[in-house]
This record gives sequence, structure tokens and C-alpha cells, in this order.
Amino acid sequence: MSYMDDTQNSAPGSLPASKAAPGAATSKKVNENATKRLQNELMQMMTSPAPGISAFPSADGNLLFWRATIEGPEDTPYAGLNLKLSFEFPSNYPYTPPTVLFTTPIYHPNVDFSGRICLDILKDKWTPAYNTQTVLLSLQSLLGEPNNASPLNGEAAELWDKDPALFKTKVMDRHKDIEED
Amino acid sequence: MYEPDPAAQFIHQVSAGYSLPQTLPQYTFDETPLRLTDRRGRGGGGGYGGLGGPGVGGAAGRSLLYSPIFSTPASANTAGVVGPASSTAGHGHFNFHTTSATTASALTSSVPATTHHRSSPPHFAIQKMEPTPEDLVAQEAAAREYQPQLEGPFVGEKTPSTAITNEYAKADPIYIQKTAVLPQTYSHYRPIQGDGNCGWRAIAFGYFETLVKGGNKGQIEAEKRRLEDLNSYIETIGGHSQYVYADFVEETFLLLDRVAALIGDPEQAMREVYATFNNSEIGNAIMYHFRLLASSYLKGNQDTYAAFVEHEGGVHGYCSSVLERHQVEIDHLGLSLLVDVLLKPVGFVLKVAYLDRSPGSEVNSYHLPEEARDRHPSTLGPIIHLLYRPDHYDLIYPVEPEPIPEPVNVQVHRVSFSPTFDIASAPVAMPSYGINMGVLGMLPGFHGPPPGLAPTLLDTSPSPLSAYSPSPTSTWITSPFPEPPQQAPPVSVQAAPVPMSIPIHTAPAVAPAAPLQTHPLRFSEYCQLPEYVENDTWREPSFQTSTFRNSHFNVAHYNNPNFQPEEYRPDAEDYDAPQRGSGKKRASV
Repeated sequence: MSYMDDTQNSAPGSLPASKAAPGAATSKKVNENATKRLQNELMQMMTSPAPGISAFPSADGNLLFWRATIEGPEDTPYAGLNLKLSFEFPSNYPYTPPTVLFTTPIYHPNVDFSGRICLDILKDKWTPAYNTQTVLLSLQSLLGEPNNASPLNGEAAELWDKDPALFKTKVMDRHKDIEED
Repeated sequence: MYEPDPAAQFIHQVSAGYSLPQTLPQYTFDETPLRLTDRRGRGGGGGYGGLGGPGVGGAAGRSLLYSPIFSTPASANTAGVVGPASSTAGHGHFNFHTTSATTASALTSSVPATTHHRSSPPHFAIQKMEPTPEDLVAQEAAAREYQPQLEGPFVGEKTPSTAITNEYAKADPIYIQKTAVLPQTYSHYRPIQGDGNCGWRAIAFGYFETLVKGGNKGQIEAEKRRLEDLNSYIETIGGHSQYVYADFVEETFLLLDRVAALIGDPEQAMREVYATFNNSEIGNAIMYHFRLLASSYLKGNQDTYAAFVEHEGGVHGYCSSVLERHQVEIDHLGLSLLVDVLLKPVGFVLKVAYLDRSPGSEVNSYHLPEEARDRHPSTLGPIIHLLYRPDHYDLIYPVEPEPIPEPVNVQVHRVSFSPTFDIASAPVAMPSYGINMGVLGMLPGFHGPPPGLAPTLLDTSPSPLSAYSPSPTSTWITSPFPEPPQQAPPVSVQAAPVPMSIPIHTAPAVAPAAPLQTHPLRFSEYCQLPEYVENDTWREPSFQTSTFRNSHFNVAHYNNPNFQPEEYRPDAEDYDAPQRGSGKKRASV
């Protein structure tokens, strides 16, 4: 019985620990590849920025964590709003998609109240040929053209067609400018 | 919550002095404690089962929680034991509670040990079977996150292809037949990890391997120049930014450089290719470079290929959701595209051997590009061979001109008795504690005998074969203990062509072979007679003898690498049933 307890208690902690030693070199190597790609993307976004979007690694120098801003496109309920997002890149980026969240509270059919986004290219439609810029551009167009067929916010999906004025009100109610950290 | 009712408890203990099983009174509905009078009033006199149904009455809504419990066989047993006793005694006080198993166990412990009762493990087993909502949520989350455990490296070592034969030894006869002759054509194969990239990875690896084999530095440098020129194609036609594809392409060029530098030492060069492809990031990058090449080539040659695109998103949708997506398997169009853009210009030919269940005695092969099909093999360039099995590609290597170091006589392993015969016509039953032999007979490897023999083998009426078998002491006797391992290889027992009636567990001491020879000779499909071997109708040993049935040699054993869970077939019960409970246990004692 005692050995059972031992394994149960130590397993969660010891597994990563035992993996860390031999795997350290590999994961560093993996990070290098992802980092190289992210440096290229950063360079690209700085040299030829797309209108209305911007992204930059977060202040702590970790290239795997970015902050991004989308300006709400004209002719959408989000016009004039600055929407902030966080990007977290996996170590095997670009083979798996980044985790993208709205950090600004946003009322949108495909975004839930935690900021999680339902967008196919961030999930099963991701390809390594996509990048931060294409993701931001997709999100920008999602603001004006929500996919109301698979909403995360059902009320918003309903109001989008039924009562644009109320929708706009709810957007403005929910919106809150947040401090850059 | 459960509130002990001292009076009720008292009644129960006193009246249950005649050993009312402890399994019973653990269920409590607090709001509507069901006294016996209640039960009578509601007409739920059917014992425990009745309680689950009409007896619960007002608590029916909550009783839904218990539906899994009442439907389990174990609880059915409980009902059988308990029901009549309680209803006749008229003192069965039932406390039902819907809260949790812990309360139930608290109740158990509250019953004084002096009560003379049987222990009740089934009760706790039943309680544990009920998943809490948290369990379900955790289970769902686990299922969502589930990633199959992929075994082995991305690209494996060259392996004798007889491994494939063994892998399919218990499969469909078409597979058996095709894999049995496979090693005659292809001596080796190289397993590729089945992560969804295997086709792309296999071709990419084969491309570099062929370059190494060619030993032509000039060719490799020419290839590098050609692929460099294709970069602009990826950019202009494919529509991918330089900063996106550059990382992928770079790894291809680096490997080409390394291979070119090692061209004088093919072995070292192959080790380099092997190591590179087994580095997940670099291997993926090279593979993804080739994906981009294929998708760009499709976009640039829509006249030729667009008609073959079967995707709702058209060419672009197909590119972004099939060709360019990591871990999405190559399809035939992708194969054609990659051959046309990568292999054809350098004169390489792709030959795919399809190992599937299509009729035929060997794998169907298919050359790409199509022009190669009409030309004599000697006029073709180097060939990259792929073995396709449904949803998976591996590299295979044809037999080299020099003699193969390991001739493998696969047939030796294929001599056995017929499990079908064992089930259908052996009148001796299998012990019922273990594996249902009837169901085992339904496993893919144990399907019926070939048409010619079927009537004989499936005939359950007395036949010449059964003449010797009814006796429990005859050849079908079971040793109650596993036989010593030296008897394990059934091969040695019957390497010679003998009638099927020798079961492989026939230890000489137990069953003399003499009676067998007195019977009319009846050749089975499992004999090693030339006509059967040539017809390929023999089978793999099934390890379904009583000796091996519970061993890991049996595919129904979870330790077996080819583990095949038993399949429940209600019809199988029909002819299995009479075997149960007859003389087998007695025979083995």
C-alpha cells in the first residue's frame, strides 16, 4: 500500500522533473525554431504593418507571449474601439496554433465572456502557413462578420440580426479600455 | 441526508436475523422513506426490482440516478437473493437515499457488526460504477485532449518486411495472403510514424535517401538550385510570404548541403538523413516545405488538377485545409502533385503498393507519374517504394539482387488446428469462467473456413471427426495448469502434414496419437499439403487451445501486442450455450 501512495503522490511532480533533465536541450531547441519564426514575423509586422492591427512581444522579453491590438473596423459596432488581445505561442509553433484571447471585454457572438475566441483557423483549420498577422486580420474581419451559426455568446448572435441598436449598446456597455501591462 | 431511524434499524436487525444480506438496505430516500406499508400500498411487491420500478413511486425522478445500478447484472443478482426474503418476511425496511456512495458506506458501518450478515462486496462495486458529474466532466475533458500515443520515431529503421507478415497474421485472409508474399518482393520496410504526416514524411525521406543512393554530388547540387528556383513559385503562385516559408525551405537546403558533403560516405549520409528526419522540428520543416511545393504547384496548374479537387472550398480551400495543414494525410491528388513537382523533374519514380482488401493474391502496385506505367522498369529512374495500408504509408524496399540473409519460412508458423472446428464440432465444453470460445470464433482472424471446407467444419452433427472427441479424456483434455513453456511453439508438434485433428496442446502423455490414425484421413485447410499452401488457405495458430487461451499468446489477452478485444455477438451464444456447463470442468479435474 505504501508504494501505491508513493507513486500517487510523487507522480505529478516527478514526471515533469524527470523529463526536464534530458528534455531540456530538446525543448530549448524547439523554442529556438519557434523563436526564429516569431522574430521573422515581428520583423514583417514592423516593416510592413497592416492597417488597424499591431502586435508586439510582451515586455518581459519572452518571444512566445505577445500582446496585440485591433482597431474596431469602421461600419461595425466596434468602430473606434481599441481591442487588445494576448497571443501565447506553443513551443512547436507554427505547427500548432497560438492561443489567442481578447483581453479587452468584448461583446461578440464568437467570443465568450472570458475572451475566448471561436475561430476555425485558431483550432482545427490552423496551418503552419498562417501567422500572427493573418490571425489578426481574420479576427478583424470576424468583428464585422461574426459567424452566428456557431456562437459562443448566443444572445449576441441573436441580437446581431434582430436588434443592431441594442447590440451596439451592449457592445459599448461591455467595452472597457484596459491598461497596458 | 440520511438520518438513522433507530426504530427502523432495530426492526431491520431483529427481523433480518436470518441473514438478510447486507447488500440490501443501503439505499435511502430520505424524503419518502419507504416503509413496508407504503410498498404494499403501491403494489410494488416484486422485491428489489419492484423497488426500482413502481415501488419507488414518488421518488421516480430521483430513481433515474439509480437506473445504471438496477440494470447491472450484479444488482439483478442482488435482487434475486434479497427480494423474496424481504417481501415474505414483511419486515424489510428500506432506506433509500439519493445522495452519495459515502453516505451509503457510512450507513453500512452504522449497522452493528453483531448482525449476522454476509459481506457485500457487490454493493460497493455497484456504487463505484456510478459516475459523478465531476467524473463525466473530467472524462469529457480527457477525451477532448486525447492525443493518441504515437509509437516509435518519425522514421524508423529498415526492418525486414516479414514483420508486416506477422503483423497481419491474424487478419483477414486477403491480408494474410498478400502479406505472406510481400517479403518475396519487398525484403524490408521502414515504418513511418502514423501522425498524419506519414505519406509526406515517407516521400520526403525517400527523396533524400534516393539522392544519397545515387551518390551524385552534381545531382544534389542541381536539386538545390532547382528547389531554390521554386521558392519564387511558392511566393508568387502559392501566395506565401517569404518570411513564412523561409524557415521550412532553409532546413531542406541545409540537409541537401550536408548530404552533398557526405556523398563519399553513403552510410554516414544516411545516418545524417535519418537523424534529421527524426528531429521533429527539422523533419517537420522539410516536410512542410514539400507541402507548400505541392499546394503551390496545384495553384499554378489548376487546368490540369482542378478537376480532381473534391473540396467544398475549391482549390484554395483544398490547399489550406488539406495540403497545407500539418498532420493531415496526403491523398492521391497530393501524391500526384508532390511527384510532379518534386520527383518527376529529377527522374525519380514513385511506386505505391496498396495493401488493402481488394481481391488478389498480392499487393496492387501503382506507378507515379503515370507515364512510368507504360515503360519497362529498367528504363525508369530510381524508384521510391511506398507501402500503403488504409490511412498509412510506410517506405518499403524491394528485394536486392543478392540473396536475402534471412529466408523466412512463414508457413511453419501457420500450421494449427481450426478454432472453428473447436467451437462448432467439439462437443466438449469450454469452462465458462474464461473466454467465450464462441465469441472468439467471431474474431477477425477466426472467420470461417474456406468455402470448400465449410460444410464439413461447421457441421455440428456427429461426424467421423467427432467420433473420438466426445470422451473427456481424449485429445481435448485440458491441463488445469499452463503447460511448460517448452511446449509453447506449436510448430514443433506438427511440422509434418497431419490431419487437423491433432490439437496443438496434445501432450504425448495425455493423448496418444494412435486413435487418430484409425480415422479416415481428412485433410484440413491447415495441413501443409502443397495444394493448401499454394492456395494460401492455411492460417496462423490461433492460440485458442485450452493451454494458450488465457495466455498472452491469445490475441484476446490484453498483453498480446495484437490485442483484439472479443466482440459480443448475440448469435454466437446460440451454439455456444450447449457447450457451457457440460463436462469440461469435470474433465479437467
